Amino acid sequence: MSATVQKSGLAVTTAADVKQQRLDLKADVVIVGSGAGGAVTAYELARKGLDVVVLEAGPYVPSKDFTEKFNDMLETLYQDHGGQTNADGDLLLLQGRCVGGSTVVNGCVCFRTPEFILQKWQQQYGLPELTEQALRPYFERVEKNLAIHENEEWEIARHSQLLRTGAENLGWSVRPFKRNINQCALTGHCLSGCKSERKQSMLVTYLPWAAAHGARIYADTEVTRVRADNGRATGVDAQIMDPEQGKVADLRVTADRVILAAGAVQTPLLLQKSGLGNSSGQVGRNFACHPSMFVLARFPEPVHPWKGALLGTYVDEFMDPDKGGFILEGGGLGASEMALLNEPGTGKPFMHYMEDMKHYSGIVTLIHDHSVGEISWQEETKQVDYRIAEADFPTMQQSIKASARLQFAAGADKVFVPSYQPLEINSVDEIDPVVDGLVNEPNSLRLVSYHPQGSCRMGPDPASSVVNVRGESHDVAGLYVADASLFPTSTIVNPQVTVYALAHWVADGMLADMNRAA
Amino acid sequence: MSESDKAAEEVARLGRRPFLKSLLWGGAAVAAVAGGSFAWLRRSGVDDEPVPDWVRHLHANEYHLMRRLIPALLPVAGTNLTPPEQVPVLRNIDHMMGLLNTTVRKDLAKGLVLMDNAAVVSGWHGKRLVDLEPEAARAYFDTWTRGNRIQRALQGVVKQFIYTSYWREPATWPPVDYDGPVTEEWGLEYLGNAPLPEADQEQSA
Repeated sequence: MSATVQKSGLAVTTAADVKQQRLDLKADVVIVGSGAGGAVTAYELARKGLDVVVLEAGPYVPSKDFTEKFNDMLETLYQDHGGQTNADGDLLLLQGRCVGGSTVVNGCVCFRTPEFILQKWQQQYGLPELTEQALRPYFERVEKNLAIHENEEWEIARHSQLLRTGAENLGWSVRPFKRNINQCALTGHCLSGCKSERKQSMLVTYLPWAAAHGARIYADTEVTRVRADNGRATGVDAQIMDPEQGKVADLRVTADRVILAAGAVQTPLLLQKSGLGNSSGQVGRNFACHPSMFVLARFPEPVHPWKGALLGTYVDEFMDPDKGGFILEGGGLGASEMALLNEPGTGKPFMHYMEDMKHYSGIVTLIHDHSVGEISWQEETKQVDYRIAEADFPTMQQSIKASARLQFAAGADKVFVPSYQPLEINSVDEIDPVVDGLVNEPNSLRLVSYHPQGSCRMGPDPASSVVNVRGESHDVAGLYVADASLFPTSTIVNPQVTVYALAHWVADGMLADMNRAA
Repeated sequence: MSESDKAAEEVARLGRRPFLKSLLWGGAAVAAVAGGSFAWLRRSGVDDEPVPDWVRHLHANEYHLMRRLIPALLPVAGTNLTPPEQVPVLRNIDHMMGLLNTTVRKDLAKGLVLMDNAAVVSGWHGKRLVDLEPEAARAYFDTWTRGNRIQRALQGVVKQFIYTSYWREPATWPPVDYDGPVTEEWGLEYLGNAPLPEADQEQSA
């Protein structure tokens, strides 16, 4: 029977729809999380005829309700209302917490997993199956499904043109991004959700497709425990929470297969709270997150960094670890973000800086960070322990230096160091002495992570990894992980396509196992 | 190394704590170092002033502290920027406080008390932060910006509340040419859901 997709919106059960105090559901598969991993597995399994239930802790917010006001959307669509940080409080961890997850609020940037990263996973982490050749069909499928294409010239805003100019003047390799967007309207509001439904997020693609094949989607539903019996997953317990009123119902889903796709912070927490899957002691460990900085520069002419596509071009000159291990992305931003990313001094210096904001342009730095972080559940509270590794700090400094060099090559008259202490660079000659003076200590650099990864890494050895190469727990049969927690290391690039591909890979592995067993 | 830096280092060795707990451990140590030199919770003239009925989440001392800090941290004299009194900065701060989880909220309350009182000795202001004139308050913040990691973090939290509560308001955008929401203004068409992929009925990848 052919499936039919709703033209707009999504059939979702929310807390407001629930009248009973207790619900018991049965399914073939229950999926925790509705973002990149959850939505792809939901569709790929539902279209094969499996009965799928998707549970999302966050709210269902239809696109028409996106306000394009960043702070409103932070509070509505993001984890902890946009206030999730590491234990030191100097790294903001931005993750979507809504139906569609982080795919609703990301910048649309799409990279296949770099080949040198896959080689590292093959050679150093015992995953020879994860070759470019093996994953290519998955990349190709998702790229086609999500309208992923290279930015055309009209999609490259002034801030990204400046990045390209600077790179070309220095002879550095610079490219247009690929993005999952259909007829970009150039609003610049990607991080607040795409109101006119051009971003091909899970909210307008894989979730409605999964629903068309019968998947049932619940929002406002926090999974509290994964259930298992005799080493086999049996389902999950959850609470349906009204955002205003609190708990409205208990929910139990009985299913032979459980997929955790709640993201690299929530997935390990759920395993820890459930007391499952952690014979290796690795659940929550090996956390990486691409700690990013936003290196702002002032240009003599207006840039209007909020106008146009949020992300246009990037510099890959230093992507290879032997050349530095970082990339530089040309990115836009609005008034609120500008106020949080830099402060040349308290009071008047800050207000004059803000008054001048149309003259600023920024570069987002991403590094291939070491997996030194840990996610844990302590005293009924999540804890994210992550500090910049000593081995990574020189890379952070190099990425600031390269950004500054590029900004001056593009015509900037001043560059701001992304530090809490007000630091400015006024010429190329000042770059090295200023940046070399930075010290690796908490609350020194202004850091943001958009890419939590690697807290339930896959691998062949149950003693050193949490799941196998097909995402199934070494300890609990039928329990899978299908989000960025899987990654053995950070990917250096924006990870959404890697998550899509691996989620599809996990779904295929599950289907193959089921077919063998049948 | 200053006494407060030494104290902060000592506290840092006590182990990793969640963000605001770290602040408070450090803050307690700073206070302990200075403990013989100032009267904890020195009274201020604002302590007895009323708090508006609409305040739901700010404690009275926090309300007065934020109220006093807003003009200090958002000075618009000599600029074209919107005066903060024309923007509901305090209401927005109150709203944002209500979004914090219970643990963080309690710790932040203690942190704000600490920052307010530490001004009595830090920088030898001899007054609580809530009683400082704008210029002195700014100098206090600048000192903490260059201070130990605990001071840097706490001053940053206070600024984030105030800056965000001001710049999130559309009334602040015209002077800086920021467009804000555009989809409805531009009359953009909603594209809806993507159709099923061509490969919907095919085998997996």
